[in-house]
Amino acid sequence: MIFLTLEHILTHICFSVVSIVITIHLMTLLVNEIVGLQNSSERGRIVTLFCITGFLITRWIYSGHFPLSNLYESLIFLSWNFSIINMLPYFKNGKNDLSAITSPSTLFIQGFATSGLLTQIHQPKILVPALQSQWLMMHVSMMVLSYASLLCGSLLSVALLVITFRKRRRVVGKRNHFLNGFFYNIQYKNEREKILIKTSFPSSVNYYKYHLLQQFDYWSYRIISLGFLFLTIGILSGAVWANEAWGSYWSWDPKETWAFITWTIFAVYLHIREKKKSEDVNSAIVASIGFLIIWICYFGINILRIGLHSYGSFPISYN
Amino acid sequence: MEILFKPSLPRITLSLKSQSHLLRSSSHLRTLPFTISCKLGTSQDGNISKKIMLSEVAPPPLSENDSPNREAPAKPPSRRGGAVGLLQRFPRRVLTVLSNLRLAIGEMFTIAALMALGTFIEQGEPLDFYVQKYPEDNPVLGFFTWKWIQILGFDHMFSSPVFLGMLILLATSLMACTYTTQIPIVKVARRWTFLSSSETIRKQEVSDSLPRASVNDLGVILMGAGYEVFVKGPALYAFKGLAGRFAPIGVHFAMLLIMAGGTLSAAGSFKGVVTVPQGLNFVVGDVLGPSGFLSKPTEAFNTEVHVNKFYMDYYDSGEVSQFHTDLSLYDIDGKEVLRKTISVNDPLRYGGITIYQTDWSISALQVLKDGEGPFNLAMAPLQLNGGDKKLYGTFLPVDDPDSSQVKGISMLARDLQSVVLYDQEGKFAGVRRPNSKLPIEIDGKKIEVVDAIGSSGLDLKTDPGVPVVYAGFGALMLTTCISLLSHSQIWALQDGTTVFIGGKTNRAKAEFSSEVNRLLDRVPEIVETSQQGIIQ
Repeated sequence: MIFLTLEHILTHICFSVVSIVITIHLMTLLVNEIVGLQNSSERGRIVTLFCITGFLITRWIYSGHFPLSNLYESLIFLSWNFSIINMLPYFKNGKNDLSAITSPSTLFIQGFATSGLLTQIHQPKILVPALQSQWLMMHVSMMVLSYASLLCGSLLSVALLVITFRKRRRVVGKRNHFLNGFFYNIQYKNEREKILIKTSFPSSVNYYKYHLLQQFDYWSYRIISLGFLFLTIGILSGAVWANEAWGSYWSWDPKETWAFITWTIFAVYLHIREKKKSEDVNSAIVASIGFLIIWICYFGINILRIGLHSYGSFPISYN
Repeated sequence: MEILFKPSLPRITLSLKSQSHLLRSSSHLRTLPFTISCKLGTSQDGNISKKIMLSEVAPPPLSENDSPNREAPAKPPSRRGGAVGLLQRFPRRVLTVLSNLRLAIGEMFTIAALMALGTFIEQGEPLDFYVQKYPEDNPVLGFFTWKWIQILGFDHMFSSPVFLGMLILLATSLMACTYTTQIPIVKVARRWTFLSSSETIRKQEVSDSLPRASVNDLGVILMGAGYEVFVKGPALYAFKGLAGRFAPIGVHFAMLLIMAGGTLSAAGSFKGVVTVPQGLNFVVGDVLGPSGFLSKPTEAFNTEVHVNKFYMDYYDSGEVSQFHTDLSLYDIDGKEVLRKTISVNDPLRYGGITIYQTDWSISALQVLKDGEGPFNLAMAPLQLNGGDKKLYGTFLPVDDPDSSQVKGISMLARDLQSVVLYDQEGKFAGVRRPNSKLPIEIDGKKIEVVDAIGSSGLDLKTDPGVPVVYAGFGALMLTTCISLLSHSQIWALQDGTTVFIGGKTNRAKAEFSSEVNRLLDRVPEIVETSQQGIIQ
C-alpha cells in the first residue's frame, strides 16, 4: 500500500508545482515580469521532473516491470518526457523559450492520465506473455519520447502559424501583447519597441515579430529533427521485436501503419525545408497536420480499434 | 580618398587599395574601380556613397559554392539528330522529372493518405461485407460505394496495385534524386574551395572581420575546435562535420535497401500456422505455403517436428504468464538434430526456418470414470463475449448416447491449471486440478481428471529478405542519427592586417554563430609596438 500512497503523493505534488509554474508564466505575460520569480519557475520545473521520475521508479519497483505496459503508464511517461524536453534548452544556452509549451503539456497529460476517465487502468497490471521482452523498454520508450518531441515541435509550428497569419492581417504599427506570445523576454522587447516607435521607425514591430518567428522556426526544426530520429529508431525497433516475437516485421497493423504515416508526414516536413522559398510557413502547416496525426496514432487507434477488424495474431492491444 | 569614405563604408577603402587582388578573382568586380574613379572628380559625397551602395548590390559572384544549390541537369542536353536524339534525351528528361522534390513530396502525401484509408476500410473481408457497409443507394461521403473499393483494390490495400505502384514510384524518385542532386552535392562538398574575395566572404550567413589578426592564428584556433583547416596563402578554408552531408544519401540508400528486402520477403518467403497437440508431430514442408513466385523450398523442409511437451506458467493471480513448448527436430533419417524449449519472444531457428510460439489451446482432457479409462475427451473452444480470455469445454455422457436427450457431465477449463465440473442438471459440482489424483463424485459417478492435454500454436516462417531488411534498418538508424550533425564551413581571407571571416552551416544555425563568435574571441590580436609585431 505504501507504494500506492507514494504514487498519489508524487502525482499531486507534480500537478500542483506545474500549475504554479504555469501561473508564473501567465503572470509574466499578462501582468508584469517579476524577476525574482524566474528562479522559482526554474526550480519548479526541476521539482516536477523529480516528482515524475520518482513516480515512475516507484511503479517500476512495485510492479516488477518497466512502467510502460498500458495507456496510463505511457501517459505518465509522456509527461515525463515533456519535462525532460523542458530542461533541454538549459543545457544549450541557458534560456528557456520552450517551457511555455512543455509545461502546459506536462500538466494536461498528467491531469488527463490521473483524471477520472481512466481510473480502471491506474492499477499496475501484470505483463502478458507477448510483452515480456527486453525490447519493451527500448521500443515503447523511444516511441513515447518521439511523440513528446514531435508534439512539442508541432505546437511551436502552430504558434508560428498563428503569429504569421495574425501579422498579415494586422496593420503595421499596432502593437498587441498577445502577438509576442508568452515568452519571458517580452518585457525586454516591449521596451525596445517603445524606444524605436518613438523614433518613428515603422517596421520595428515587424522586425521583432520576424525575429520571433525565426526563433520559432529554428527551434521547431531542431526539436522535430530530434523527434524524427527517435521515431525512426522506435519504429524500427518495433519491427525487429515483431519479427522476434511473431515472425513478421511488418504486418500493416493499424498502429504500425499510423506510426509509419506519422513518419512520412514528418519526412515531408524535413524535405519541404529544402526549398528555400517560403520554407517556414509551408513546413509549419505540415507540422500542424503532423500534430493531429500523432494524436490519432497514439490515442485514436486505441479508441477506434474496438470497432475495427482485429488485425495481427495477438488480439491483446497493449498500447 | 580614404578619409572621405571612412565614416560610411571603411571596407570599400581597403578594397580600393588592393584592386589587383580583386581583378584576379571575380569578373563583376572589375567594373568597380572604373566606376568610382570616374565619379570622384565630379560628384559630391552623397552621390558617391550611393554609387558604392549600388555596386554593393551587384549580382552575386560566380563563386564555387553556389553550384550545389542548382540542380545538375542545368547542363544542356546533348544535341543529336532527330528521333535518336529524343531517345537519348528521354532518360534524362525522365530523370529530371522524377528527381523533382515536389513530386516526391506529393508521392509521400499520397502514400500517407492511402495508408490512412487502408486503416479505416476493413481489410481482407469478403465482398458481401463491403456491399453491406458501403451500399450503392447510400454512399459514404456521397460517392464512395463498394464498387470503388473493388475496382481500386482497397480491400487489400497494402498489396493493391495502386499502393504498390506508388511505392515503386517513390523508390524510383529516391534513386533519381540521389543520382542527380545528392551525389553532386557530395562532390562539391568534398572539394575545398578557397574564396579569394572579401566581398563573397562578407556575403556569407555569418560573417565578421578582425582588424588586427593573422589568418594562421585563426587556423590554429579552428583546428583546436575540431575543424579541418586548409591554408593557401592569405586564404583559409575550414570545415567540420562533413558526415552530415553524406548522411542524407545514406538515409535514402537505407530506405531503398529496406524496400528491396521487403520485396524479397513478399515474393520469396514461406509461411505456415499449425496447432499441434502435445505428443504429436508434423513435417515442416506440409505446413508451409509459399507466398510468392520467388519462394523455393529447401532441404530443411523435410524436417519433422515433434511436440514433446506443452506447458504454461502462471502468475499468483492465476493469469497466464508464459507458455512453453518443448520441441525436437528430426531430420529425414530420423536422427534428432535439435531440441529446444520455445516460448513467446523466444523462437527456434533451424536451417533458415524459424518456429515461433504464438498461441495455445487445450486439445483434450483425460479422465477416469469409475476407475475405467483413461478416456480422452476432446475439448472445444467456447465463445466468450469479447475479451481475449479462452474457455474450453467438453462433455462426458452418462446415459445411453443413442437416446434422444443425452445427459452428461460438463467440464470447463480456462487453462491447464484447473477443470470445473458441472453435473447433469448443469449445476456446479466442483473444481479439480489435473494430476491431483483426487476424484470427484457427481451423480453417483466417480470422475478423476488425469490430465489436461494442451496443444501448441506454432507459426513457421522462412524469410530470405530478413537479413537485407535488418541491414537496411541498422543503416537507417545510423544514418538518420548522423544526418543530425551539421556541416559547417568557414572561409577566411587575410587582407593587409585584417582578416575577413565568413561561414555557413546547414543545420544548427544559431549555435554556429555563437560558436564562431566564441572562436573569434580567442584569436589573438596583433599589436604593433615600435616596429616589431608582438602577438599578445
